[in-house]
Amino acid sequence: MCDTCGCQTNNQNSDTRLIDINKSLLEANNAIASKNREHIEKMGAVAINLISSPGAGKTTLLEKTADMATNLFHFCVIEGDIETERDAERIRAKGIPAIQLTTGGACHLDAPLVHKGLHKLEDEISTTPFQILFIENVGNLVCPAAFDLGEHKRVVMVSVPEGSDKPAKYPRAFLGSDLFLITKIDLLDYFDFSIEEATECAKRINPKIRVMSVSAKTGQGMDKWIAYLQNLID
Amino acid sequence: MHEMSLVQGLFAQIKEVAKSHKAKKISKVVVQIGPFSGVVTESFSFAFDVLKEEELLLKDAKLQLLLPDPTFMCSHCSQKIDGSKITTQKRENSFHNHLLFHDIKCPVCKQGLLYPYGGDEILLTQIEME
Repeated sequence: MCDTCGCQTNNQNSDTRLIDINKSLLEANNAIASKNREHIEKMGAVAINLISSPGAGKTTLLEKTADMATNLFHFCVIEGDIETERDAERIRAKGIPAIQLTTGGACHLDAPLVHKGLHKLEDEISTTPFQILFIENVGNLVCPAAFDLGEHKRVVMVSVPEGSDKPAKYPRAFLGSDLFLITKIDLLDYFDFSIEEATECAKRINPKIRVMSVSAKTGQGMDKWIAYLQNLID
Repeated sequence: MHEMSLVQGLFAQIKEVAKSHKAKKISKVVVQIGPFSGVVTESFSFAFDVLKEEELLLKDAKLQLLLPDPTFMCSHCSQKIDGSKITTQKRENSFHNHLLFHDIKCPVCKQGLLYPYGGDEILLTQIEME
């Protein structure tokens, strides 16, 4: 309001200043994410951010990966969940070092939390050198997509029971991902899931995305997944 | 759901700028939300209004959102296509699925399909302070 006469126009003589900023709201997160990436590279590893809905099979995929990778490469896991150590315990049972991060309610991991996880990994685990660090995000196909954690590759997963319309319905997660992994394909006979439709939708959002389908239960397609991982290390 | 975290980050940035400019009050905040950012603008505005009540500096701040039109790229001729040229539909909180998934052909080469180009930004562009 104008100070002189009380009219509703802006008083040009007031102390109001307009400052141009043009900075991302995620700038603080992204700066820490870059540090995380350097940190992981110093550890001699590449990091993969695994994003999916709850129950798409992220932990099961990692358990099966542990069985198959024994003589090929070493990996560690940072588990993100809202509550409990359950996922980390499942991974440790396979002889794989795992750190559990609990967000206590937050729907996604962010770079500062992963930074804590990296230090925990170094402090608590005297591990043999590893080549891959999996960061298993909180089960959620929406929010994790906006947050760079310092990963080198992002892998988005959809399981057969969820339906092939998921890329169209949750597009943001597919935009920045390197690989789209369709999981639980041993259930294809029981659900109306079209691999073609899911692939086409994902490629409409991100033409560069690679698509693979696997069953961690039967092992079908897992050889391609392992080859993808080995290719990242070489 | 992550709109709350985004607004918390925004407030941290604003407080830093306000401190360096010795501002007493923030009257307006301008934020640009890209069409492919995945941000729900209503949730963002709601989070802004809820969280500003806890900040003396921001109590009277108004939020202005800039919502640029989407840009697409053609899968065949790689031309950048201005989204406002191929639809009159107002931007909503969608990912422009009506454009992406209904086989709209590139208006230039009439052959390729369109996919998102850029537009994932969430930017603090301007702050008005006293």
